[in-house]
Amino acid sequence: MDEYISFEQIPFGSDNFAENPEPRCPCVLLLDTSGSMGGLPITELNEGVRAFKQELMQDPLAAKRVEVAIVTFGPVTVEADFHTVPNFHPRELDTTGDTPMGAAINMGIEMVARRKKEYKEHGISYYKPWIILITDGAPTDEWSVAAANVREGENAKKFAFFAIGVEGASMDILKHISVRAPLKLKGLMFREFFMWLSASMKMVSSKNPGNAINLLPPSGWSEL
Amino acid sequence: MKWKAIGQSVTGISHAAVGKGCEDAVQYKVVQDTNDDEVLICCVSDGAGSAQYAAWASGFTVKKMMDGLSDAIADAGQITEALIYQIAEQIYDGLNAEAEEKQVELNEFSGTLLGCCLAKESAVFFQVGDGAIVRNDGSGYYIPVWWPHNGEYQNSTAFLIDDRAFGNLNIAIIGERVDEVAIFTDGLQMLTLNTEGRNVHQPFFTGLFRFLGMADDEEKVTVLNRKLHEYLDSSVINARTDDDKTLFLASRLSV
Repeated sequence: MDEYISFEQIPFGSDNFAENPEPRCPCVLLLDTSGSMGGLPITELNEGVRAFKQELMQDPLAAKRVEVAIVTFGPVTVEADFHTVPNFHPRELDTTGDTPMGAAINMGIEMVARRKKEYKEHGISYYKPWIILITDGAPTDEWSVAAANVREGENAKKFAFFAIGVEGASMDILKHISVRAPLKLKGLMFREFFMWLSASMKMVSSKNPGNAINLLPPSGWSEL
Repeated sequence: MKWKAIGQSVTGISHAAVGKGCEDAVQYKVVQDTNDDEVLICCVSDGAGSAQYAAWASGFTVKKMMDGLSDAIADAGQITEALIYQIAEQIYDGLNAEAEEKQVELNEFSGTLLGCCLAKESAVFFQVGDGAIVRNDGSGYYIPVWWPHNGEYQNSTAFLIDDRAFGNLNIAIIGERVDEVAIFTDGLQMLTLNTEGRNVHQPFFTGLFRFLGMADDEEKVTVLNRKLHEYLDSSVINARTDDDKTLFLASRLSV
């Protein structure tokens, strides 16, 4: 080579990267907004959802990868469809109606299946979806089909389903619905719960040996 | 032309944030075969993020595979599929013994394995799990040897300890001269591979291999190797991945 090149000076390293979209980590919150959640519980729940967004925004990769959707019940309403964290703008939730938990669960499962299909169509890779149910009561609708769908989905590794009971929740029924043991929220520690959830979601991007789901110990906010 | 090789494993920002070290491992060297021809060997392993002994497992896997391959090349002069299975079994048994010793589950030693042996007119590649091996197809175009093994989900892949029959182990032995090869772990997949078209993002590699081609002495290769570390640790990379990342590049071309 005639030309002298100082190897100390060369711009080694490409900044031309494949334009891959970020992999997505979908999370559906199924939130009980029945009459009994009125007053302080709904205020604390709203506060918790806001804290959830703020926490995820702190982590630049989680902000790009986690997609949040909210379904409230009852009646069953898609409060927010899947959005990455910066585009997720939770509205203040009010309480109304009864507790059609079964229909809400089925809605959550359908949303997750539809979202995965959209990812596939766009060549986007994704993490296992999470469905989080939070309730202070017992279903007022038929829930056995929903329970069977949860079991089927968990077995086929379609999603991970978590049930959180607030004071007054029928933990017995939650045990029948959720394959994983339902957890009981201590008092109204929604904020602490959502901090834990965001920390767990940030961890999800690390690899899982086997099929274990990476979860932080539910310390602080759950009753044992 | 002699082989010029550089390779670095760098801790990802998410691992650094929780005080974990790098759980990727890379080793490479050039050995002489029985005809006194040069053979380049490289092994890479990515220890699973949530496995407790990931760093130990990746280091052990890489060392064992390197030792096994270099011994075989020096003794027999070539690598067979049976030999790779045999070394893989030794690694599996070694990880298993360590898990028993520490009284933990074997999946605390989960890791991937990627590697190559490039001889004068032939090449051997092997891979379990994600990450990828990319090679020059002879015309200056870069192709993946295999598309990364990811399950349905981004964070699920195959590991060496999954199965002692190694159903997930891919081996390719080709009677073809390979002049450029790159090996990287999944931390770099998003930057180097186009998922939609399932092909290699060419500009990423053409730039890097050009400089490796220009390095005409040992000292320049050493400079590039240091620059590779700086590059993998730079904000342009860290803005796109928080995982540990390994990149190995080898060339016997000169520009």
